[in-house]
Amino acid sequence: MSQRPLELILARNLMSALSTPAFLVDEGGLLVFYNDAAGLLLGKRFEELGTVGADEWGALFGPFDSEGEPIPYDELPLVVAVRNGRPAHATFAIRSTDGTSHEVEVSAFPILTAHGSQGAIAVFWPAATNGTGS
Amino acid sequence: MDVRLWGTRGSIPSPGPETIRYGGNTSCVGVTLSDGSLLALDAGTGIRNLGLSLPDEPTRLHILLTHLHLDHIQGLVFFAPAFRAQTEIVIWGPASPEASLRDRIGRYISAPLSPVEVRELPCDVSFRHCPETEWEIGSARIHAASVAHRGPTLGYRIEDGGNSLAYIPDHEPALGADLDALEEDWISGFALARDASLLIHDGQYADREYPEHVGWGHSSLSHALSFARRTGAERTVLFHHDPLHTDEQLDELGEEAKQAWTELGGEAENIELGVEGAGYELPARVPSATATG
Repeated sequence: MSQRPLELILARNLMSALSTPAFLVDEGGLLVFYNDAAGLLLGKRFEELGTVGADEWGALFGPFDSEGEPIPYDELPLVVAVRNGRPAHATFAIRSTDGTSHEVEVSAFPILTAHGSQGAIAVFWPAATNGTGS
Repeated sequence: MDVRLWGTRGSIPSPGPETIRYGGNTSCVGVTLSDGSLLALDAGTGIRNLGLSLPDEPTRLHILLTHLHLDHIQGLVFFAPAFRAQTEIVIWGPASPEASLRDRIGRYISAPLSPVEVRELPCDVSFRHCPETEWEIGSARIHAASVAHRGPTLGYRIEDGGNSLAYIPDHEPALGADLDALEEDWISGFALARDASLLIHDGQYADREYPEHVGWGHSSLSHALSFARRTGAERTVLFHHDPLHTDEQLDELGEEAKQAWTELGGEAENIELGVEGAGYELPARVPSATATG
């Protein structure tokens, strides 16, 4: 049987213990896990939703730019990180299942191993308000 | 496939009257494949006696290292066949971005830690990083995969004659994870151990000891049993005993393991603690004739 790479397993274990919303994609950019903190933000736990493709994810949660337009999948920080092997950062809004919009800052970084990129992690933070500075 | 335990202890050799039954030598398991090929799983101090048991004649053998902590390589410079010119040894181990396998092992087999250098060994020795895919040694198919421990660490699955041996001596699959709830493909080492005929697995700590050792890279008894149950291993040998555990304490741990295993629905005779010198014969299994369909 196929087995998740150890680096993804350990990343999931770490993310499970965090109170910061965090998302995990595999080497193909498929969302394979998000933690309970992310589930609170979205209004649905990962165990309820399961692995979903980009189209379904976009229809459920967005994300959306400042004009309320959907952000193309290829431009999402997680996708940039896993495809380019580089960190990526963005600010956008996501919509939870009750329709509430949340503006968040997202930092994503790739999981690089001896066998190449195995996926990427994204961490969500509430978007900083103007003038907070730090 | 014949399997023999030459060293069952973890961390550091622990000889003495308190450890005489389970043994004080560190990790080493000898495997004789159905075609006669010889494997040594790890090269802790137990490999010294394995070497002494081999006849003084031309020999080719493979040493499969899970990782390079000292309790898994310390016996290399006391392995008698390595000092015979007619011996060919292939040492397999985990890759690291930091240095080659030869260079990393060479840090131990060199001054001031060792009186000899790798280049001085009379035998024909070579070093190979384990491939990501399966490969063959003699009559066996070997599969190696990274497992949860400190530093680059592998577990092995050896399939030969219709049997499978899973060897994961240093493993903490429950670190930050609930083994009873996780999906199978998210459990470290699962694919190596799935339905194994014989699973040799880390069982270093009693449950009461584990909280003081979270993240050290080893399993509690309950975690080891959960892993064995989830993977469906037919028979499980708990291994890598803590050096502080006396024979008496290991007897108690063994009884605890059997009781817990039966409560999980298993049969008591299929769970045991590894004893230095113990052997396991895995006779070749003939494929079912009905499978020709």
